[in-house]
Amino acid sequence: KEPDSGLGIEEEVSVQKRVRVPNVKLDEERLLGPAGIPKLRKRAAGLKLKGKGHEFSDASRLLSFYQLWLDDLFPKARFLDALAMVEKAGHKKALVTARNEWINEGRPKASNDDDD
Amino acid sequence: ELADGTTDIVHPEVRAHISSLVAALGGASTEDDGRYHLGDDALEVLRDIKRWIRFYDEKTNRMDVARCIHEANLIEGDLLPILATWPENATDIKYKSRIALACFEIMVPLTWPMERDKERMTINHHRHMPVLELAQVQYKMAIINFDEARILHAAVRTALPSLALPASDRAARDQGIIKLVLFFLRNMAMIAPPPNVQYEGDETQISRSATIDAFSYQDIFLFLLTLASNMGDDFRTEDTSVMEIIYHLIKRVDIEKLFMTEQQVHKAKAHELTSLMNKESAMLKAYTRNGPTRHNRFGTMIWVKREDGKMSSLSGQDALADTTARNLKMDKNKVFKPPRRTKKENKDERDLGPPAKLNARATGQLRSFVEEFLDSGFNPLFQHVRKTIDREASHVMQYHRRQFFYLVAWFLEAERTRQKLKRDSKKNNDDVSSFSLVAGVLNQEMFITLNKAMHEAYEYKDWHELAAVMRCFTQILLTVQAMTESGREDDEEIAENVLSRLFYEESTHDTIANIIRTYKDQGFYYLDAATELVHHFLRILEAYSKQNADMQVRSRKRTRQKKNKDQQQGTEDGVLAEENDDSANDDEAAERTSKERKFDFQRFAARFTPQGVVNTFVKFTRFYQDMDDSQLKRVHRFFYRLAFKQEMSVMLFRVDIIHLLYNMIKGPEPLDKGSGMYKDWEELVKQILRKCFKKIEQRPELIIEMLFSKLQSTAFFLEYGYEKQTTSKK
Repeated sequence: KEPDSGLGIEEEVSVQKRVRVPNVKLDEERLLGPAGIPKLRKRAAGLKLKGKGHEFSDASRLLSFYQLWLDDLFPKARFLDALAMVEKAGHKKALVTARNEWINEGRPKASNDDDD
Repeated sequence: ELADGTTDIVHPEVRAHISSLVAALGGASTEDDGRYHLGDDALEVLRDIKRWIRFYDEKTNRMDVARCIHEANLIEGDLLPILATWPENATDIKYKSRIALACFEIMVPLTWPMERDKERMTINHHRHMPVLELAQVQYKMAIINFDEARILHAAVRTALPSLALPASDRAARDQGIIKLVLFFLRNMAMIAPPPNVQYEGDETQISRSATIDAFSYQDIFLFLLTLASNMGDDFRTEDTSVMEIIYHLIKRVDIEKLFMTEQQVHKAKAHELTSLMNKESAMLKAYTRNGPTRHNRFGTMIWVKREDGKMSSLSGQDALADTTARNLKMDKNKVFKPPRRTKKENKDERDLGPPAKLNARATGQLRSFVEEFLDSGFNPLFQHVRKTIDREASHVMQYHRRQFFYLVAWFLEAERTRQKLKRDSKKNNDDVSSFSLVAGVLNQEMFITLNKAMHEAYEYKDWHELAAVMRCFTQILLTVQAMTESGREDDEEIAENVLSRLFYEESTHDTIANIIRTYKDQGFYYLDAATELVHHFLRILEAYSKQNADMQVRSRKRTRQKKNKDQQQGTEDGVLAEENDDSANDDEAAERTSKERKFDFQRFAARFTPQGVVNTFVKFTRFYQDMDDSQLKRVHRFFYRLAFKQEMSVMLFRVDIIHLLYNMIKGPEPLDKGSGMYKDWEELVKQILRKCFKKIEQRPELIIEMLFSKLQSTAFFLEYGYEKQTTSKK
């Protein structure tokens, strides 16, 4: 009877809004996760700086070290934007405690070094 | 509906009324060489038009009448020719002068600046304002370029009978007339093509140069000088209006260029051109160095091997160049932008407008006005305005305070430039003028006003005013510093006094430190003012505290804590002696709230080390491409002080700051290598980087901390390797 029944026009369409996939965020969870700062620390061992006389090439090396790490961690944002996000997340409680721990890890060693 | 089928935007009856009134006013006669003939009831007609404006437009907050008047070409077609029939030597013809006055009474509301106050705007405002803003520009062009008569001068002439009366004899009507004329001049000085609209007429006929030229030719400068120098005696409530006119004439005028001779200007312009061309060629060179060497479809594609066995691909030959270029390219390919708040409209820029460009003629005219004003009008006018602002007189508007501080700053700088020129031109000549010409803004009352305005503007978040106050403060500091070097004993003595007063109040130090610490999207002008103030404040205070080792500071904190007791050094006697005219209770209270203690520059400077302050300076540095040498120097000195004098370089060890510093020297858009500051900056960046790498070796945890802002305690630990002893206060 109805010519357009085959087109599926009369079938009921659900208008219920589906939940959007949440935006991926660069937050403290991500930073504390395995791809976050732990990885940065692991990689830092491989970072070789030449020292005096090579300040600018060293700086370039350091910056690309951070950039590649951030690109792995949060590929969609640009370097400077990602840095700002990381900085912002750094004020969160979880990160503050973690930062303190990391500093404390180096503390006894650092105070020994300082005696020179 | 109109004849052509469109609907009219104003009520047709209004339009009919206005056009019949304009027609009745008069017109060019057919005989008599087409000279203007007044209608029979011209005066009544003018009054009717005035009434229409007052009771239709202003009362009901519409702009219909103004729109109709614009379309009827009333000002250009009628009012100006009418004023031209009022000969200069016939001031005493009563009827004519009444007509002239009526003309100005219509022109003032028509040229009145329009406010975009969102709360009061109706649909009519949105409908008419764009047209009327352009209409005002057209009015201004017609008025200041009118050939047959000097309209501005005629305005002053209408006020002459009232001006001639002594202040005490002036009736309310006389004062109204003087005000009216001043407003008219203010409007003429103020009208400029609206920003973000392409003005289609001849810019040179309404530019600042044309305005200044008209003001000079029509003797308005003389009028302003007379009023300014007699402020307080013959004139009282006119102070803010005179100030406003001067403000709109000199705002954003480059002082250095103003005091150059024509040859120097030519030289400066040529120099500017060469430096700009050098800059451009350097830019092009940088581009061709990294630019493609083959056509754009050459189709290079490379893989970048990364850690963890990852690969990323990049296309384009420029990716072959080096790692930095590859990283940059990888970054550029990303499109995601983090959500940001929309920028607020910057009211300040609307008010100040673009930098004024003056031609040689206008420069000369304005210079002679500025010099005469400094010689005669500066002290009386600004002292009077200061008093008016202090007593919060009814005719003071909010923006007057801002204009006041802006003008004081501008004229102080002008005076210093002038004196410097004089000193340079004739070495050790004894008639170098003293600073007494600007002494009116260097007294104690002014500092009270200034401090109060600074606190208030900061508290009420009035950033435009705060920027003006900071500019003013900076200029006072610089003027005082110039005074200490002037070699005149009395000037040096005054300067000493002023400085000791300036640096006495600790609450001022606190406010300045807070301002610079809490910067957040207030715009470049504000940022510039704040960093400038901090730079000079620190510099001059340091020099001063070296000279006077035992400087005292009054703190407004409650000093119940015993910590400060040992630092007090028996200065209570001084406090008591100073305040013993108060009653005993007040004495106690005053002692509780204010105490004096020794000033310690190191501790004071430590207030400018927190991350907030560093962030503000870093944000300022991001504009390094557009900065001039003095601005670059300012930031350079701050970073230098931070890293090497106060040993807080850790504050700079953050990846984005390192990124910025590196890019200033070696990035794709480095500082201009030819500029004077490049060498200094290269050295500074090098030293900071070296320190940074040393620190990373010393303390590997810095690799993590470099991502974040550091608290003072963390920074202290990273810097020195031990906890700060919180008990010791020295």
